[in-house]
Amino acid sequence: MAAHLRLMIQTTQPVEPDDRQLVQTIRDGDTDAFEQLVRRKTSKVYALCYRIIGNPEDAKDISQLVFIKLWENLEKYDAKYAFDTWLYRMVTNVAIDFIRNRQSRENAVNSNLRLVKTSTDAEQGVVFQRKEIETVFNDVASVLSPKQKTIFVMREMEDLPSSEIAKILGCRESTVRNHLFNARKLMQQQLQKRYPEYAQLWRSR
Amino acid sequence: MITCELFRSRFTPGTDDVEVLEHLRACENCFAFAAQADADMLFRGIGGGEMIPPGGVDAFVSDVMREVHLRSTEKIASHPKFGWARRLAVAATLAAAVAGTLYYPRQQRVTPVQTTASVQPATSAMTRPVIEKYDSDTATIVEMPTEGAEDVKVVMIFDERLPADL
Repeated sequence: MAAHLRLMIQTTQPVEPDDRQLVQTIRDGDTDAFEQLVRRKTSKVYALCYRIIGNPEDAKDISQLVFIKLWENLEKYDAKYAFDTWLYRMVTNVAIDFIRNRQSRENAVNSNLRLVKTSTDAEQGVVFQRKEIETVFNDVASVLSPKQKTIFVMREMEDLPSSEIAKILGCRESTVRNHLFNARKLMQQQLQKRYPEYAQLWRSR
Repeated sequence: MITCELFRSRFTPGTDDVEVLEHLRACENCFAFAAQADADMLFRGIGGGEMIPPGGVDAFVSDVMREVHLRSTEKIASHPKFGWARRLAVAATLAAAVAGTLYYPRQQRVTPVQTTASVQPATSAMTRPVIEKYDSDTATIVEMPTEGAEDVKVVMIFDERLPADL
């Protein structure tokens, strides 16, 4: 009998609410649910910000700003659409604005201070250090427009399909492909000029 | 995550294989291998996955929540919620103000016409005592009948010697 009873007891495992359910709970006034959402999305949002902005501290500030904007605009979210698409749109808008403002503040000369490496450096061969590649990327991507860089990051580093990027940015898929093509071309030119050892490897597709 | 052997067997230039990309972004040796085989992997190798913000996720989240609470409090302070009694009071005040605004100009329009006619008696009333005494042996007093306790009482005095302007 005891065994029989045990079978009848439901084993209810706590099920994590999905993004849409969490948003609804937040709209109903549950601040703890918002904390849960922030915790869930922090790493992704920060990674995207970092890759677009290229500086950990600025990326952290911008990510926090994104979440605050998210809190203030949550009423505008339409549950018909994927939450991540809406969130990524907010991330890209804030990050692009930040880059534009930073670019207008900075002296254009600053970004071109790195001297071209000597041929001896190039002859020594390329050691694939992930950190070094990150520096190279941040350096050569500084010539891209904020939108080009955002598209490049989302496609090549976040592995998002062009169709999804188009949805996030509110443009056509062909526009995404054009931006991507131009971004690669510009980066190839910069690599040639400033990192010839990598330019030999990397080519524009 | 797949093994290095599996990665190298499955790796093809321009791949979008999720498992291959995951391995590429985690393994230094395979990253070098992939970049030499397909230079497009150079920048793809540094992407993907998730990142921890400086200071950790807990500190990040608590910073965000502090700011959210602060902004919510500021919002409430700048737009306090009224109780029903206060709302009623505000509504009554507004209604009175609107009614007053509508009524007052009408009063102003009517008053000048009346004023010209009534200024003179008012002035004389001010200068003359309200009750005057005089003696008469010939006066006739007629009191009009009233229809109730609240009806106005009318008294008529007839006297040949009574001053005309009384």
